[in-house]
Amino acid sequence: MTLAASFLADAKSRLLPASIPFRFFITAAVFHLLMWLVLLSAAGDATSFRGGPGPALAAVHLLTLGVLTLTAIGASAQVLPVATRRLPTAHWPITLVFWLFVPGLIALCAAMYIRRPAVIAPAAAVTAAALIIFAAILADNLRRATSLPVVAAYGWAALASLLVLAGLGVALAGDYQIGVLPDHAAVALAHMIIGGFGFMGFLALGFSHVLVPMFALAATPAKRPAYAGFVLAVVAVGTGTVGAVLGSKMMLTFAALIGLGAAGLHLWLMHQALATGMRKRLGLSFVLVRGAWVMLPSVLLVGLASLYDLAGPNGPTLFGFLLVAGWLLTFLLGILQRILPFLASMHAPRAPGKSPPPISELAASRPIRIHSICHAVALFVIAAAIAGDMPELLRVGAGVGFVGAFAFLWFTAEVVRRLVPHA
Amino acid sequence: MDRANSCEDGRIWRAPDGVHIDVRGLEPPQPMRAILRLLDLGEVDSVAIAHLDREPIFLYPELDERGWNHEIVQFGDVDNGDEVVLRLVRCNS
Repeated sequence: MTLAASFLADAKSRLLPASIPFRFFITAAVFHLLMWLVLLSAAGDATSFRGGPGPALAAVHLLTLGVLTLTAIGASAQVLPVATRRLPTAHWPITLVFWLFVPGLIALCAAMYIRRPAVIAPAAAVTAAALIIFAAILADNLRRATSLPVVAAYGWAALASLLVLAGLGVALAGDYQIGVLPDHAAVALAHMIIGGFGFMGFLALGFSHVLVPMFALAATPAKRPAYAGFVLAVVAVGTGTVGAVLGSKMMLTFAALIGLGAAGLHLWLMHQALATGMRKRLGLSFVLVRGAWVMLPSVLLVGLASLYDLAGPNGPTLFGFLLVAGWLLTFLLGILQRILPFLASMHAPRAPGKSPPPISELAASRPIRIHSICHAVALFVIAAAIAGDMPELLRVGAGVGFVGAFAFLWFTAEVVRRLVPHA
Repeated sequence: MDRANSCEDGRIWRAPDGVHIDVRGLEPPQPMRAILRLLDLGEVDSVAIAHLDREPIFLYPELDERGWNHEIVQFGDVDNGDEVVLRLVRCNS
């Protein structure tokens, strides 16, 4: 091995082995497919779903934990050590997270689907244990992330939210069996706010501050408005969570209005990044990202309208659907379309005299097109089905979503398959 | 050493071994943007030397797409403030 080759091999060793992040991404793509299938079977209850064990709750958790959280764990484990210059020393903690989280989640969703409270509580405890280990890994990375102050600030807020989220989740799961919570629905709403806007929302907003400028080859967003947006977001999520537990309409209204301010600032910063970026053509993935950005303030407006009974009888369901599927899932899938070939390319061997595969060669365009179209159609149809309380229409939307999820799994598998011949 | 330029996108100067760009101290993804801007502007004939705080993992696919090979010529202890030095060579040069 030449000196250069030895340096390059060393460089590759500073990344986690490809099998670790990609096992999270592939499993998330499988859960994505499963989520639409379960939603298809839950169509009868899903249009007016307000909580409680059953297929609709299983579908929600397949999405929030199976797709969103699993992807966030894989991406954080891969990207943060690089960004924070921390060499990955041991791989077992993140491997342990995977092997605790996935079986725990399967048991949790299966128990929710068949309405078995005796299994829900222990499965939730196992899933929460995996999340707490992940929180420790995340904290270890964040304390070194001095060069990414805004991302780190959002990361710490996401971590704090994750601990509250896990605690509330275990309490809700236990409540199905022993009934300790004074108001289950109020705690469930707090669980949704701290999970959707807090844990996942903060990660989405925080990572946007480095990923969007990176993809657009733009300057880092201005610090002062970035911090102002962060403070507003934290105040909004904190007030919303406490307001939900206390059942305070005034606090929830205040939270939504502050949240709209935070969303507005964030969208303005992202617009500035795209407008000043060296790369103008960002592809289909950014059509999804832009769609998600439209959804972010829309979710808050629907939440506000539903608080004042102005969003129809299924307003709360529409709010929940737009939060997890409209904003978070759309954003995540858009980013994944872009970053998966990028991460695969980083793992490609770089032997002397042999070029690594270019990113464009690692991404198949047909499944991306099918997925993007199906995802957008599914969102629109299901939102209409919820608003009009039409279970049959929801079935159609879930079927289209399933086709899209299959295309996304095909895309993910293709990225891995095209990487292998270069290995 | 002939100092050619100094700007918010890093310090740039020419030396016998190529065009140097120092992007240490810049917040990610600014270093990657500065290096790609230098290459895209066509100011480098065949060799550029980049001085960084950390290994620019996300830069590599972009370099591959643009037809530049890269080689790490120094990878110090970054925790102690050592720099990472990357040598970029235009393919077929």
